[in-house]
Amino acid sequence: MSETAVDFYFSFRSPYSYLAGPRAFALAERYAVDVRFHGVIPMAMRSQSVPVARRVHTILDASREARRLGMPFGRIHDPIGEGAMRCLLVAQHALDVARGREFVLIASRGIWGEAIDVASDAGLRAVCERAGLDWRRCVAALADPAMRARVDADTDALTRLGMWGVPVFVFEGQALWGQDRIEDLELLLREARLEREGAGAKLSGDER
Amino acid sequence: MSSAADTLRRRILPRALVALSRVNRPARLAARARRGLGRDGRVELFFAFEDPCSAVAALDLEERLARRSVTLVLRPVVRRGIAGDPAAQDKRRYAIGDARRLAARAGLELTRGEPVPPKTCDFLAAWAASAPQGAALRRFCTQALRELWFTAEDEEPVSEARFAPIWREQFGADPPRGVAGERALRRNERRMRLHWMYETPAAWVHGQWFFAHDRPLQIAQRLDELGWSAT
Repeated sequence: MSETAVDFYFSFRSPYSYLAGPRAFALAERYAVDVRFHGVIPMAMRSQSVPVARRVHTILDASREARRLGMPFGRIHDPIGEGAMRCLLVAQHALDVARGREFVLIASRGIWGEAIDVASDAGLRAVCERAGLDWRRCVAALADPAMRARVDADTDALTRLGMWGVPVFVFEGQALWGQDRIEDLELLLREARLEREGAGAKLSGDER
Repeated sequence: MSSAADTLRRRILPRALVALSRVNRPARLAARARRGLGRDGRVELFFAFEDPCSAVAALDLEERLARRSVTLVLRPVVRRGIAGDPAAQDKRRYAIGDARRLAARAGLELTRGEPVPPKTCDFLAAWAASAPQGAALRRFCTQALRELWFTAEDEEPVSEARFAPIWREQFGADPPRGVAGERALRRNERRMRLHWMYETPAAWVHGQWFFAHDRPLQIAQRLDELGWSAT
């Protein structure tokens, strides 16, 4: 049976996307929804200026939020540029082989909590293999124009929504921006009576 | 870019920032000293009247801080955000829906469905910036924000005539005229930038800043850590 969807727009360069990831994917376990991943190109790679003050605040605030959520954070290797793009391309392949969730969570934890350089073959290969992906097929995905077209389409879709940053969640036409808005998204899911039997109404922050 | 510069930018600076963010001892000692001198804690809120999320944050903080020995210092601003931001219009539109959801958490209903046109609230900001800090200013700001976002509807103009009675009620005089308010606004905006804050509503809480509409619980937690718990 096809389920209602929550569209999840994500960037590997966004620490808030990383913080949202586990809770976003877990929504499918607690609600009768399909969480559809859309990896988007980082703002700074889309000719949008990101002032230093904003970058500094994002790191400081994400650090506090990671502590609150009990997620590793601080051993960082900023993937801006090639690293972010390589992860986006591999994520498309991972979705095709039903390992999307695993790859996204492992790669983003590698970037924000383990200082893995995903622009290097050694770094990317390590996260791919931990996610259960075949490295040779990942290498093929990096050169596949169809994967790049899907990344571009997802990025364009975010812009068409009138949204600029990530993470963004879209449910029944309503877009919510920010890892701290999963609480509001869950309210909408409960109002739509999509809670799975026995799943309980846990608060988002309890999901680790 | 050289490999060393790349490593600095990608790894070392972000990690240093995170490490710095975990240094809390100086703030705790300063807070203890402040309490020893009989002084209250302090939360500075940089806000914009035209920003619905500022309205939600100001009302929420006013209520939360009333139960603590903490003073809410209100600093209105007009110039905010990222210069030349291509998403500025999208953000203003999104803020309406976001503020509606946040207000609903507090049992409030946003009565506007559209952003307030830019500059229409500048007179309110200038009035408030020119006033001395204190209970009268807090009452004026919260009442004006309630009137603006939780009473008035889109088609109702944001006029001086509508808000002047609130001012007179709190200050016993007509609203101020002249450039003093403008100058005070520029001071607030400079102060906001000095703290590396670029957008409203921003709360400065003894050395750390938070988006006040996003992080009310974290602000409370920060005050708890510093010894200004709710009673």
